[in-house]
Amino acid sequence: MNPSLKLGLVLIISFELAFMQSVIANLVVAALGLLYLLFKHVSIKKILWMFLVSIIPVFGTWFSFYAHGSGDAMHSAWLLSTRVYAYIFLGGILSYTGTVDELLGSLEQNCRLPSKFVYGTLGAFNFAPRVVVTVKQMKTAAMMRGEALHVWSPEIFFKSILISLRWSDNLSQAMVSHGFNETATRTHYDTYAIPWWNWLVAGVCLVGLQFLAFSGLF
Amino acid sequence: MNRQTTSNKPSALSYSLRDIAFIALTGVFCGAIFFGTSLSYNFLAAGMAAIGLGPFANDVLLGLWMIAGPLAAMLTQKIGASTIGELLGSFVEMILGGQWGAATLISGLIQGVGNGLGFAMTGYKRFDKLGLLLSTITGTLVTFGWSMINEGYGKYNFGFILLLLLVRFISIGFFAGVLVYWINKLVEKSGILNRD
Repeated sequence: MNPSLKLGLVLIISFELAFMQSVIANLVVAALGLLYLLFKHVSIKKILWMFLVSIIPVFGTWFSFYAHGSGDAMHSAWLLSTRVYAYIFLGGILSYTGTVDELLGSLEQNCRLPSKFVYGTLGAFNFAPRVVVTVKQMKTAAMMRGEALHVWSPEIFFKSILISLRWSDNLSQAMVSHGFNETATRTHYDTYAIPWWNWLVAGVCLVGLQFLAFSGLF
Repeated sequence: MNRQTTSNKPSALSYSLRDIAFIALTGVFCGAIFFGTSLSYNFLAAGMAAIGLGPFANDVLLGLWMIAGPLAAMLTQKIGASTIGELLGSFVEMILGGQWGAATLISGLIQGVGNGLGFAMTGYKRFDKLGLLLSTITGTLVTFGWSMINEGYGKYNFGFILLLLLVRFISIGFFAGVLVYWINKLVEKSGILNRD
């Protein structure tokens, strides 16, 4: 499915799900999400991991409504804890069945996102592994001076900003010197089309969602 | 390092490639700092869930997720910077963390708009204590409104809701307010941004 359309569809479903008050609807959405992941051959390990990481928040949500809920607390407990699963599998569709490059490329071509946003972000994201290493280095360097940098220390953010400034300077200069132009029209090697059946699938999903939302299921 | 390439001041609406890369990189750093810290959400959540206080784990740490937005706004002083910063930040969180997926993007958008409202109330003129204070207040109220719907906070009893709101305001007030103010002070003292 076209990445932009997929993103739009998942966002609409997630948004509407927040207003829906049905446990069954949550379970249906979660199950369909899971089926799609299986259909796309996402590894079982990743799927099991999604089940595993959600145990704690699901249990936490359920138990806190059980303990502090008002009104029909049991319904709230089941509603909000099954909603977590629906969100996790919907999210998994975005995280595991497409790459950032595809998504940004498609957003540029199908949604007319300005190319400077697409390539500026893409350039920065490619630094992610180096960023993780750099954060570790900053912490280690500080420890050698007998300082511990925590998530609440302004220094670690200040150092990050210094590096971000330098890297964003270098990155934009490198891009421009390789011929990137913010205003010119671009041609594309990889093109992203939205075939008719994509619209059909999206339409069916949305109609089905309205059925779930307004049929008054438990 | 001088960030100003042109002699005339760029408008508060136009983003250059470098601004975008800078905001995105800061977002990636914020995400990496958050995930690189041993302070793990699940660890905290597990402890709190056991005593029926699961949602507090969320509210105590929420401010941490909301650093990128106001930081981008304070550093670039551009209209919409906090929304873009927060959205890019949540995109990074989605990719690095993965756990919440699409919901992260929606919350990122809501957090960014919430924070941005505070700066908008000053007409994008006060990128200082006042702007930050207002942005933490609007950020708290907007995100809490969303949690009432999305996470069902409206279904708790009243005292519990008030306590959650208070905890959230303290978290956002510290991380997205005080901490961002400290960071900005360091940046201004060093003069690396050379505004005006």
